[in-house]
Amino acid sequence: MNLSGILVLVPPEQTQSTITLLNALPGVQVHYQEPAAGRIVVVQEAESTTAEIDGLKRIQALPKVLSAAMVYHYFEDEGEIVAGIPPELDEVEGSKNNRVPPFLAQ
Amino acid sequence: MTTTRRDFLKTSIAVATAATVGIPLSQSVLAQATKANGDWRWDKGVCRFCGVGCGIMLATKNGRIVATKGDPDAPVNRGLNCIKGYFNGKILYGKDRLTQPLMRMQHGKFDKKGKFTSVTWERAFDEMERQLRKVHQELGPTGMAIFGSGQYTIQEGYASAKLIKAGFRSNNIDPNARHCMASAVAGFIQTFGIDEPSGNYDDIEHTDTMVLWGANMAEMHPILWSRIADRRLSAERTRIVNISTFRNMSSDLADLEIIIRPQTDLALQNYIAREIIQRDAVNWDFVNKHCVFATGPYDIGAGMRATGKFAFAAEQDIQAKELVRTLDKYEAVAQRRKAGDKVNQENRGKAGRHWTISFDDFKKAVAPYTLDFVAALAKGDPDESMDQFKGKVKQLADLYIDANRKVVSFWTMGFNQHQRGTWVNEQTYMNHLLLGKQATPGNGAFSLTGQPSACGTAREVGTFAHRLPADMVVFNPKHRARAEKLWNLPAQTVNPKVGSHMTKIMRDLEDGSVKWAWVQVCNPFQCTANANHWIKAAREMDNFIIVSEAYPGISAKVADLILPSAMIFEKWGGYGNAERRTQLWREQVPPPGQARSDVWQVLEFSKRFKLKEVWGQQKIPRLKAKGFEDDTLPDVLAAAREMGYSPESTLYDVLFATAGNKKHKWPDPLAKGHDNHTVKSLGENWFVEKALFEEYAGFGRDHMHDLAPFDVYYRDDVRGLKWPVVNGKETQWRFNEKYDPYVKSGSGFDFYGPALKALPSGDLDGVTNAEKTSLTGKAKIFFRPYAAPVEQPDETYDLWLTTGRVLEHWHSGTMTRRVPELHRAAPTALLYIHPADAKARGLDRKDMAWIESRRGKIKAIVETKGRNTMPKGSVFVPWFDESVFINKLTLDATCPISKQTDFKKCAVKVYKT
Repeated sequence: MNLSGILVLVPPEQTQSTITLLNALPGVQVHYQEPAAGRIVVVQEAESTTAEIDGLKRIQALPKVLSAAMVYHYFEDEGEIVAGIPPELDEVEGSKNNRVPPFLAQ
Repeated sequence: MTTTRRDFLKTSIAVATAATVGIPLSQSVLAQATKANGDWRWDKGVCRFCGVGCGIMLATKNGRIVATKGDPDAPVNRGLNCIKGYFNGKILYGKDRLTQPLMRMQHGKFDKKGKFTSVTWERAFDEMERQLRKVHQELGPTGMAIFGSGQYTIQEGYASAKLIKAGFRSNNIDPNARHCMASAVAGFIQTFGIDEPSGNYDDIEHTDTMVLWGANMAEMHPILWSRIADRRLSAERTRIVNISTFRNMSSDLADLEIIIRPQTDLALQNYIAREIIQRDAVNWDFVNKHCVFATGPYDIGAGMRATGKFAFAAEQDIQAKELVRTLDKYEAVAQRRKAGDKVNQENRGKAGRHWTISFDDFKKAVAPYTLDFVAALAKGDPDESMDQFKGKVKQLADLYIDANRKVVSFWTMGFNQHQRGTWVNEQTYMNHLLLGKQATPGNGAFSLTGQPSACGTAREVGTFAHRLPADMVVFNPKHRARAEKLWNLPAQTVNPKVGSHMTKIMRDLEDGSVKWAWVQVCNPFQCTANANHWIKAAREMDNFIIVSEAYPGISAKVADLILPSAMIFEKWGGYGNAERRTQLWREQVPPPGQARSDVWQVLEFSKRFKLKEVWGQQKIPRLKAKGFEDDTLPDVLAAAREMGYSPESTLYDVLFATAGNKKHKWPDPLAKGHDNHTVKSLGENWFVEKALFEEYAGFGRDHMHDLAPFDVYYRDDVRGLKWPVVNGKETQWRFNEKYDPYVKSGSGFDFYGPALKALPSGDLDGVTNAEKTSLTGKAKIFFRPYAAPVEQPDETYDLWLTTGRVLEHWHSGTMTRRVPELHRAAPTALLYIHPADAKARGLDRKDMAWIESRRGKIKAIVETKGRNTMPKGSVFVPWFDESVFINKLTLDATCPISKQTDFKKCAVKVYKT
């Protein structure tokens, strides 16, 4: 599970309407606001880190949002972590026998 | 996790976020929130990823990083972090992290064609030692090389530089920072006599005009960009200009976007200089007191090999231009020649030479760069009208010249990765100096960097082929003597011959003059242009390549031996950012498996060589220096014996475990319970990183590069300090009497950098009076002409190709590609192309296309929309993805002065697969 604290910046007069939109998003909860400066603090809960980034982008895409920046990131209980071994090199030009052996061949 | 625990956590995260960004909270809320995770240990750190140097806070529990947040007390980022910053903790935990040494073996022995097999550290070092002994015997000190890094911690860079320069007496160490900011360095040294910017990031809040030259800050430096955006939104008169070869994200906020043809920035800057003079806007008081005019030779080549011997057949035509160039009409003007003239590039080896000229000559030199001339050359978007382009260019000059405006110019790779990178850096200073808009709050030319310690380590420590710490150079006898004194070495131990720069080390591998190379904290086989040559050389030639890495990137795959390295928060270290801010951190968590810090690797390896093996007489091909026999480094063993060394002493004893260093004891109270695996693995009781830092700092103290004591950087109330730190006080604006303690009192400004400050004088074509005049305290205003790119689109290769980064990935991606969400955001490198250019080639968006240059070809996915919008005739491919290996295509032309590669322009064709 991932939890992140996100600072959302909007034009001050849009603070209330944006809070309504934010609270309607699944996994998102508004905790603090500073209407005079158009600043809103939300906490987002996401299943995976991938979902977390998608969620951040979803907030960034809301109308009137000037910026949404992660400030705090918590991942204590996370088991996943991905990325396989990247693809092998293409064959190098102009040479036949220099194929790089597969990395970590058993 | 229970609901109560989850809610409790959420509340505390909300409180922490609000507190970090300064939303007022009551004491009781704060107190309650801090209880939530009472078993976490928080400590300050610095971001691993770019040159901005943002502060982060890290929480650890049971030897693992569990949370990160922006550091509200960090003056750089004030609690915010960009997407990359959030993965400082995660980057340690990728699945394919390297955790044991791996060597290519067959039948129980090292075999270059063998398969990677796990071995012990002992076995790994045995083979490194055996191979180095063999190469050292055959080729001497120049047969070995280290690929260093702008991501080295200060201590890592210092240990490696000292080992190879003082121990092995070879100068073949060069960082990937050569590809990143060498042109900025050369520009600083030639203009000011000392490296690094006069200003700092606070210039953003002090200025009202910011001009981006080849720097897509919105994507590459997002935290600085957020400060720029704040400034733009809060101060009505602020204006932002984005000058680029294609439309990028920075244009969204810019008031003025100027799209230019590659390399015509040289002409654009001369137009501004011409306007400053025409409009009588030269700040004569400033210029007369603090500046001189200068120029240098034009016939300096393009930093390619002088021979076509190693070039592929298709490369021969471009290669030949290294020695003879045919001028086009735009280039010819400034050289007072005709279009079509053939010019021998006679000053290839002396490209950095320069001399003073008169203002009249300077004025004459910029005179041809009229609005009509420059616009015809520089307009980069065929769809833009000439009138509109001219209007924009004139507006740019207006903004610079307006006496009521302060101006900051920012740049990164668009200038630095440039066949005339040094020149174009110098031209920016030219305009700022002419206007007197330099080295005051809100005024200045500010070179940004791309790597976290390009400044702090590569430049300040001097892990370059020509450098010693604190801006000293190996070819200066006084500098060598000072280094030998501080390092306690016999006279003439240090080699006076400049070593091979990054691209040259690759060429040396190809021609067999380097046969042992150690890659540290970088990925040179991916990040060096024209890569097909170098990968082939590494795999097929008789050589031994060691790669210290955390993840298997291209360089690790090419290696003969892979050493698993500890990553940033698994070791003690320090970085220096682009505004001269030095920041240090503690080891937070242990490295996984057998991974060890690079400092440990270097020190442990140094135990294997004795003085008698390396300090005897050595052969150095083409060494010529006063006091040295040609091609020879003298035997210094007798002198060493007089200094108390034994020929049986190891390099470890002599260079690292010195009496002075051993005085810094481990454990140290400043550790506050944090571990030090480097010290433990060495089996020592002295604080290695502190000792190395303090020893290194000895070079810069009282020499214009003062660092604070090691312990100061660990104080809770310190978030890095901008050097020079004199009497406990950091320096905000250098060269300005009000802020900089090194400035001579009463001078106002003092460009006190000592390098290259005695020059002969002459005219635009050369030296007329060889007698040197001292230029103490002055900065130079260089005239540099437009020079045409050595490779341009033609009938066969009909498009410009430019390369660069995108926000979600950073450099070659060996780290960031391991973090799934970063990978997902930009999954595969794209070919950004104008829709009309795509259509003309029968390509649609999302089609797979071949991109081919004279040097190689690769496939990528066509993108005609999105964050980068290309003008007709140009394509862009980011370089993070090793499955889209763009550096197979790029040209290894470099700035002949800085030796930095031009990754920003070559010619390609694009066609359907």
